[in-house]
Amino acid sequence: MADLLGASLSLGWPVFLFLACLLVYFQFSMSDPDKRRRAQFKTFIGMLAAAMAFIAIANYKLNFFGNSRLLPVSLVMITALAFMMGLYFSNMSALFKIGGMMFLVAAGLSGYGNWLPQVEGGFPPPEVKLDFGSMSPQQLADEGEKIIFGGIGQSKVQGAIGKGQCPLCHGFNEGFLSERAPNLFGIPERAKKQLEDPRYHKGKPGDRDTAQKEAFPGAGTAETGQEYIAESHACPSCYVVAGFGVKGTNDKESPMPAIHKPPISLTLGELAAVDTWLYVREGKEAPTFEDITKAYEKFIPEADRPKPQEDKPAAGAGGLLADGSEPLDQIFAKAQCVVCHTIPGIPGAVGTVGPKLVEKTNAPTRIKDPAYKGSAKTVRDYITESVISPSTYVVKPFPDGVMPKVFGQKLSAGALNKIVDYLSQLEEGKVPPKI
Amino acid sequence: MGGLTRKKLWSIVALGAMIGLLLLPTIMLLPTIMSLPALAGGGGAPAAGGPPPDVAKPADAAAGKDAGPKVEKGRDVYYKTEGIVTGAPAPKTADNSQFYPRYNFESRVLLWFANQQHLYYGSFVLAVPIFCMIIEFMGIVSKDRAMAKKYDQLAYDFIKISLTAYSLTAILGGILIFTFLTLYPAFFGYLSSIFRPVMHVYALMFVAESGTIYIYYYGWDKMKEGLLKWIHVSMSVVLNVIGTVLMMLANSWIGFMMSPAGVDEQGRYLGNIWHVIHTALWNPLNVHRILGNMAFGGGVVAAYAAYRFLASKTDEERAHYDWMGYIAMAIGVAFLIPLPFAGYWLMREVYAYRQQMGITLMGGLLAWLFIIQATMIGILFLSSNYYLWQALGRMRGAEKYQRYIKYMVFVLVVGFLIFITPHTIVMTPAELKAMGGQQHPVLGNYGVMSAKNGGINVIITTTVLTFIWYMRGNKLSTVSWAKFGNIFMGVFFACAYVNIIWLAIYGYYIPANVRVGLSVPQVATTLSCLFFMTALNGVMMRGAKQMGPIEWGKISVRSQYALIMLATAFTWMMGLMGYIRSSVRLFWHVNEIMRDNSPWAYTHTTGFAANMISFNVLFFWVTILFVFWLGTLGVKKAPVEAKVPIPGRAPEPAVGH
Repeated sequence: MADLLGASLSLGWPVFLFLACLLVYFQFSMSDPDKRRRAQFKTFIGMLAAAMAFIAIANYKLNFFGNSRLLPVSLVMITALAFMMGLYFSNMSALFKIGGMMFLVAAGLSGYGNWLPQVEGGFPPPEVKLDFGSMSPQQLADEGEKIIFGGIGQSKVQGAIGKGQCPLCHGFNEGFLSERAPNLFGIPERAKKQLEDPRYHKGKPGDRDTAQKEAFPGAGTAETGQEYIAESHACPSCYVVAGFGVKGTNDKESPMPAIHKPPISLTLGELAAVDTWLYVREGKEAPTFEDITKAYEKFIPEADRPKPQEDKPAAGAGGLLADGSEPLDQIFAKAQCVVCHTIPGIPGAVGTVGPKLVEKTNAPTRIKDPAYKGSAKTVRDYITESVISPSTYVVKPFPDGVMPKVFGQKLSAGALNKIVDYLSQLEEGKVPPKI
Repeated sequence: MGGLTRKKLWSIVALGAMIGLLLLPTIMLLPTIMSLPALAGGGGAPAAGGPPPDVAKPADAAAGKDAGPKVEKGRDVYYKTEGIVTGAPAPKTADNSQFYPRYNFESRVLLWFANQQHLYYGSFVLAVPIFCMIIEFMGIVSKDRAMAKKYDQLAYDFIKISLTAYSLTAILGGILIFTFLTLYPAFFGYLSSIFRPVMHVYALMFVAESGTIYIYYYGWDKMKEGLLKWIHVSMSVVLNVIGTVLMMLANSWIGFMMSPAGVDEQGRYLGNIWHVIHTALWNPLNVHRILGNMAFGGGVVAAYAAYRFLASKTDEERAHYDWMGYIAMAIGVAFLIPLPFAGYWLMREVYAYRQQMGITLMGGLLAWLFIIQATMIGILFLSSNYYLWQALGRMRGAEKYQRYIKYMVFVLVVGFLIFITPHTIVMTPAELKAMGGQQHPVLGNYGVMSAKNGGINVIITTTVLTFIWYMRGNKLSTVSWAKFGNIFMGVFFACAYVNIIWLAIYGYYIPANVRVGLSVPQVATTLSCLFFMTALNGVMMRGAKQMGPIEWGKISVRSQYALIMLATAFTWMMGLMGYIRSSVRLFWHVNEIMRDNSPWAYTHTTGFAANMISFNVLFFWVTILFVFWLGTLGVKKAPVEAKVPIPGRAPEPAVGH
């Protein structure tokens, strides 16, 4: 609250000063006591409104990029001040009341948006080159889980999604209702049974009545369970599980895109990883990498196979220490802050090369230090400045030049934001917030 | 005689100049169009970093490489046709100052702000001339001279407001381009390398638009009678054609970003500019935006009228601005009703283009934003109904409907609550565990699609009913079959409600994929009420006995706040839907072609988006209120025509009652 009041005062002092001068001016310039009282009262109302306005603006300024869900309160304050002004300034009453109404509507909608569950889209997966051929089945399965769900262990998280985008339509857990596409639990066993379905026309692709009879001319049909899975990925419309076709096509056409083509464009290595996960997570022995890729080669002609990413990322890409999608303690660990700093609440952060980071306590004192030459006015600004430009202010008795100056480039904005959020809450002698 | 001839001469000269301005872009572009592939490839794409092909070739030749002309072909990612590669690949960016120069602030937010403000003003200045065209035409054909003058004055007032906003639109357009160039140079360089000819046409069309709008505005008094008036109104047609083309050209850029075409997988231009423009989502976007602009424009003008109403000092002024607000609201709502259908078409095309994109929108990352949208649709309809109920108060004879309003409120609120209830929710494992499943144990039962459709269709049908009551508020049908007509209408509405609600309940007993199909009969029922009942009511009320005049200006102040609420909600919804449309590209500048590697390639939280939308909405309204105020400064003669006796009966045209 003190931060807020301080920020609002620093923003609005010229206005407050002007209104105070006006108050004094009315006191000495008006002889009619009634007129004077009215003018002074209106000026007082103006001061009250200005105070509310600047507190509202300061709230926005301080918390704009933070996780505060109370920003709409600012809009409510402006609504209140607009109606208050409308009451006392009759010549502009309509304008104030209209403005107040607009702020009220915006506050309501903004508040609603903040009240709803906060879903944030993570950072895109980094473009890295992997050698799937040399991985163990478990490593392959882990990569498969990342492709499907976006991370290891994410298969248990509802709504988790990765490059393959499979969970958009498929269910993966036993008993999970999957309306758009079949639930893939048990697919290693079920795949073999599907081959015997009369609609599948094993060995007789010409007899199929589906939108596409074969993955490509001469590809034929699957002979094994793994080949069935490969064919389903490469040519979803070659056989459509009953009830899951495009509406109105009588299950002759699948809504699923070919996974090796845009927009998903999984390489054979990635497809092998996905399939391996399907087996491993059920405790079943997965076919070898070679067997899986061979199954895919049967249904994807060489010209159509997406090439593994050959291009090296442009300068700087992929060089991030943390992209912001990691948990907070990992961000501190990846950026190696823990080596030099003591950070309450962060496991292993007991370094003494640099100062202890209790910034809610430290920052205000340092900003006021005559030796401070930076531009920060708030705790958050100070922390950001210290991370990006450590030499702007060096805490005594620690030497300058020890802390790297690359964090501005090596941390994503999301990661930096998380760091700043956390450090700005740390106070000396108080229990750190939970991470 | 001499004066009139001179006026005619000047008008024809002005019209000629206008046509000349219109043809100018075409003439200037002829050589460009003739040599499109060469031009598009010739300059290369500066954003790609490498030298343009025509510069690189001699160097290659000198180095003893392939000296012969080598033609490389690529396959169009959307049309699947082959074309000669004539452009550079989309640049592969990285998070550094070369590709993403920045201030100590999130560049994406700055761009969001600049873009949204330009769009708000752009939408307004494109919508207002369409109103002017309609209203000026209504004035010309109106047989009542007093009403004709009122309409003419109204159209003039509109264009006057839009002229100030027009300058601001241009300024904001400049700011937007500078923001792109300075904060996203690689992306903008790539986009302009693809759209270079389109951007030039756009600029020239803007010149034509400016010329036409100035002639249209300044020629108003000179061309107010006879043939000249017809020439004047035809200029508004030309103005709107140019405006619509402008909007469609701008839409082609965002269409390309969402669903690129005319380039190969690397983003290399293949020489066919029509493919680049005519992407999968271009036409649905065009239709959706035209309707959206009109609804938005109606909202802005209604707010203007509400402001003037509240600030009015005389009964005449109040009457004039009450009437203006009513007309603007009617236009806005008239375009709001088809908007969901255009939105449905757009979403269908999105699903057809990329199913994943559709699911991200409706059932994934952005699904909560659609819950907000549903809430806003409900708010818009509730506000419209409230305004019309308040408007019944200015008609003698309309008291008989007042007692039914409480029942309508009940029906609307129940429909609204069902409409906004979510069914399948994206949630964390902890939330999933706490709730015991994907669906809420109680609310989950109400959120299925057919029930939601039932909710919104009940709301729209009730709005139609309110409108019909308003239309017959102070009238008594005199046709011989009036009693039968009333019974028929009552039964028709009752059957409509029964059908919609019955289908909503029936949806629980059938599989999800069949349930979706129930929306067709539900919507058909609502549309039947809208078209048949409104038409039937019109026939019944022809030559009806007037119980009393419409006393314009004698409406509650609360009604004006309903108009302001409508306008603000329109603006907010526009910002919300624009954000959703843009966010669905996730971490792509150009979907699947050019990846966003900036530090802001993630999607913001719902709360942050809501705060940002509110900021944009309020900034727009603060500035447009300033524009309104400027509009009142110019000419203090108004409302001269308002001195014409306030009509003792309703305006005749179709949009008004």
